[in-house]
Amino acid sequence: MKTRILGIVALVAVAAMVLIALFVVPADLNQGDAQRIMYPHVASAWLAYLSFGVTALAGIGWLWKRDIRFDAVALAAAEIGVVFTAFAIWGGMMWGDPVWGVMWQWEDPRLTTTALLLALYVGYLLLRRLTDDPERRATRAAIVGIVAAVDIPIVHFSVEWWRGLHQTATIGSPDRVLNPAAPMVFVGTLIGMVGAFTLAWAYLIIRRYQLARLDVERDEAARIERLMSARTAEVAR
Amino acid sequence: MTGLRREASLALAIARKDALAELRGRSAAVSTLFFAAVVLLLFGFALGPDTQRLADAAPGLLWLALVFAGVLAVDRLHLLETDDGALEQLALYPITRRAIYAGKAIGGFVVMLVLGVVVLGAVGILFAVDVAAALLPLLVTVVLGAVGIAAVGTFYAGVTVRLRAREVMLPLLMLPVLAPLLLGAVKATSAALAGDPFGELGAWLQLLVAFDVIMVVAGAATYGYLLED
Amino acid sequence: MTDAGYVIAAYGVIIGGLALYAYSVMRRLAAKRNDRDEGR
Repeated sequence: MKTRILGIVALVAVAAMVLIALFVVPADLNQGDAQRIMYPHVASAWLAYLSFGVTALAGIGWLWKRDIRFDAVALAAAEIGVVFTAFAIWGGMMWGDPVWGVMWQWEDPRLTTTALLLALYVGYLLLRRLTDDPERRATRAAIVGIVAAVDIPIVHFSVEWWRGLHQTATIGSPDRVLNPAAPMVFVGTLIGMVGAFTLAWAYLIIRRYQLARLDVERDEAARIERLMSARTAEVAR
Repeated sequence: MTGLRREASLALAIARKDALAELRGRSAAVSTLFFAAVVLLLFGFALGPDTQRLADAAPGLLWLALVFAGVLAVDRLHLLETDDGALEQLALYPITRRAIYAGKAIGGFVVMLVLGVVVLGAVGILFAVDVAAALLPLLVTVVLGAVGIAAVGTFYAGVTVRLRAREVMLPLLMLPVLAPLLLGAVKATSAALAGDPFGELGAWLQLLVAFDVIMVVAGAATYGYLLED
Repeated sequence: MTDAGYVIAAYGVIIGGLALYAYSVMRRLAAKRNDRDEGR
């Protein structure tokens, strides 16, 4: 089973990277140990956005091909996306308090945009839950997913503008770790963590997609059964 | 008539139909306006009585009131539809789906524009800001904001037609998407009222224009799929 | 909280949450597959 192998590889990779990030990599000179939080935080944020992209693309796939499997992908990506978005926000807050002195800063474009991402995702999932007809649900979800995905870059730019015009230099910017001029050991650990998390993400997407497919099959079977019993009732008359 | 012109006239016809229905049910349109007024009053109670604090907060309060009232306004424009069923019949022709969206959005825009102007005046009075001095940039901001709220609102009102828990879902879906518009409109209003000391008014207006264009295009492109149900 | 506290809180929730979610998906998947194989 290829997926099972992927799962094991992902598990090992994540475990290894966590150990490295916590015990092997040196602490940052300015931010201290708190900087270690950046690794899973950035990785989670990357996967949150990736998931959102997948959701939107899968929605386009449904609108174009009308294959319900696309919708199953969209659902899987959205649910997993919520999970990683929550992680990213939590990580951001845990990093922010020791480094900024506050858990939240409105002008940080990543934090604010990610919070909005969470709101958009939750709305998306609630919309799905409140729609019973599978095809209508897929269509509604698809267009909401697309419009939300289009909104995200606008949000990001507007918050950046917001910050830029205020010209407050944030001490301890998250950019330190993302800066190409940063020490190699930090960059390497970050890349490793992102890679490990991405493997875990891929595994989860596949499993959640399989779960969604089973639900689709069960709905289809129930629908056919209803049609059959309606037919036999008619024939009996 | 070329296809595009036919589409445009269809859109205007739909907008006019909605507008006439609104005018006949005059009390309904007015009640949205009063809702906005009540929201402003509550803001006064919540943040007052310090006049300076309210004046500083005025741009934010203006646009919060407009966005919340906007949710109600677009909600009702689609409520008119579910009784009718005429919409579904029109939707048989693909070329008309864009026109239907445009027509509904235009109707929403007109409502938002009227709301915007009136609420702007009310904010000037209630929160002691000199609206008259910066009238032109403020009106431009109101127009751009109205376009955005109408475009996004019409889209989500269409999505939530016949949806369970609609009263909660419409704002829940609509408001996060409007966050950049809210930010841009508030910043532009703020800059306009202050006489644009940092020259940032143009940038914020550009953001609003970009938002409006993107949302109108996205809405028009995807709205049609809703009508295929 | 010392810095270590924040780090533990961050990693704990993120890694723990990942594990929990993965477990929940796998459990639901196994249950549904059981249902299907037993003829619903």
